[in-house]
Amino acid sequence: MGMPKAMVDRKKCLSCGGCISVCPQDALSMEGMKALVEDDKCISCAICIRICPVGAISGEVYS
Amino acid sequence: MKYDCVVVGSGPAGSITARFAAKTGAKVLIIERRQEVGVPVLCGEGISKKIDEWNMLESRRWIAGDMEGARIYSPDRTCVTLSAEQAGNETGYVVYRDIFDQELARLAARDGAKIMMNTQATDLLKDKDKIKGVKVKHFDEEFEIEADIVVGADGVESKIGKWAGINTTLKPKDLETCAQYTLTNIDCKDAYCDFYLGKQIAPGGYVWVFPKGKDVANVGIGILASLSESGMAKKLLDNFIANEPRLQKGEPIRFLAGAVPVTNPVETTVQDNLLLVGDAARHVDPITGGGLTHCLEGGKIAGETIGMAVEKQQFDQETLSVYETGWKEAFAKKIKRNYMVKEILLDMDDKTLNMLADSLKDVKFDEISTLGLIKALVLKHPTLLMRLRPLMKVSKEV
Repeated sequence: MGMPKAMVDRKKCLSCGGCISVCPQDALSMEGMKALVEDDKCISCAICIRICPVGAISGEVYS
Repeated sequence: MKYDCVVVGSGPAGSITARFAAKTGAKVLIIERRQEVGVPVLCGEGISKKIDEWNMLESRRWIAGDMEGARIYSPDRTCVTLSAEQAGNETGYVVYRDIFDQELARLAARDGAKIMMNTQATDLLKDKDKIKGVKVKHFDEEFEIEADIVVGADGVESKIGKWAGINTTLKPKDLETCAQYTLTNIDCKDAYCDFYLGKQIAPGGYVWVFPKGKDVANVGIGILASLSESGMAKKLLDNFIANEPRLQKGEPIRFLAGAVPVTNPVETTVQDNLLLVGDAARHVDPITGGGLTHCLEGGKIAGETIGMAVEKQQFDQETLSVYETGWKEAFAKKIKRNYMVKEILLDMDDKTLNMLADSLKDVKFDEISTLGLIKALVLKHPTLLMRLRPLMKVSKEV
């Protein structure tokens, strides 16, 4: 099992773009007005999870 | 069709840039990924009355409230009142940003800019290393738009800069993460923008109440991202509203999230065939988080520079650097100074903020002078002077 990677709850995301602006790996982008994580770029730093103002990002372990 | 200039993003910086470029006769296209300009709003919606002097807008439909000033509340609720002129960027008008942005886009179109909605930039179009335009997705259709100049007006999350090799990634300590309700059924008869400070209220930021009428206001929070945990901005805002008598009965008609860069401006905003404007260039006041006036001021310079470059048919970095020199002259010093002040304010504990507010609460701010300020501080809280030394140093340096 790998480290948990960021995952965006599309129902909660309000498309503020904060997570995209701080991602050190440029692993996030806006897709259909919701943030989307490219999980092969994600290094599990959890910065985006902590900064989301509405708690729309969580850590998920991908199998 | 090939354009002289493609602007990515129809926010205020994008529309103003497009308008002033189009005015010179340049062929300009704005692309916007959303389906409506200005929606969703991502903003506290305060702006300085400086905007009146610039005559960049025609109607007044975008004004929701005309403010008399600002009140800053320290953690123990000591109130410092500022007149609109003293309160800086964010106090003056409270606006409807959707209408505001649409008005700016309309004026860009009037002056000749084309606008393409539902169109997301997916990459820069390059020939070897030379930027030739943008790759876009319009609904399910993918195609290329050729242009001599690409303008990144793509906001806080800007990708255009990154694709061009400019490092625009923000550190969490240089981002405010925000949430805001528009609350109705509340009392805001006083036309004042209110700011509430305190580690418990909004760590590394503030709560604001910006009236949009006598019973409706934007009530929002910004906290420093480095001090944030998941969902904290919304939770703290809900707490604040639940504990504030005049807001408790409020009912929301809108909820939104936001992200505001509070950093130094991007040092190099110009490359061959490319420039960055607005939030993408980090043209935001690091203390207040306000960026609208810089967007308009910088965007005008960008548009005029593009016009000049198109006229000369020269799109290299040196030609476009007229824009960079221009915005640096206009507001770089202020942003850099306020970034230093932000760092100093962040170090202050609640007790220091309370003392500061207590010293300032009776000062008439239209008579403000450094000497008057120091006198007020010495009389009330002499120990404050020591803590404010870094501030004095900054004011001497810049």
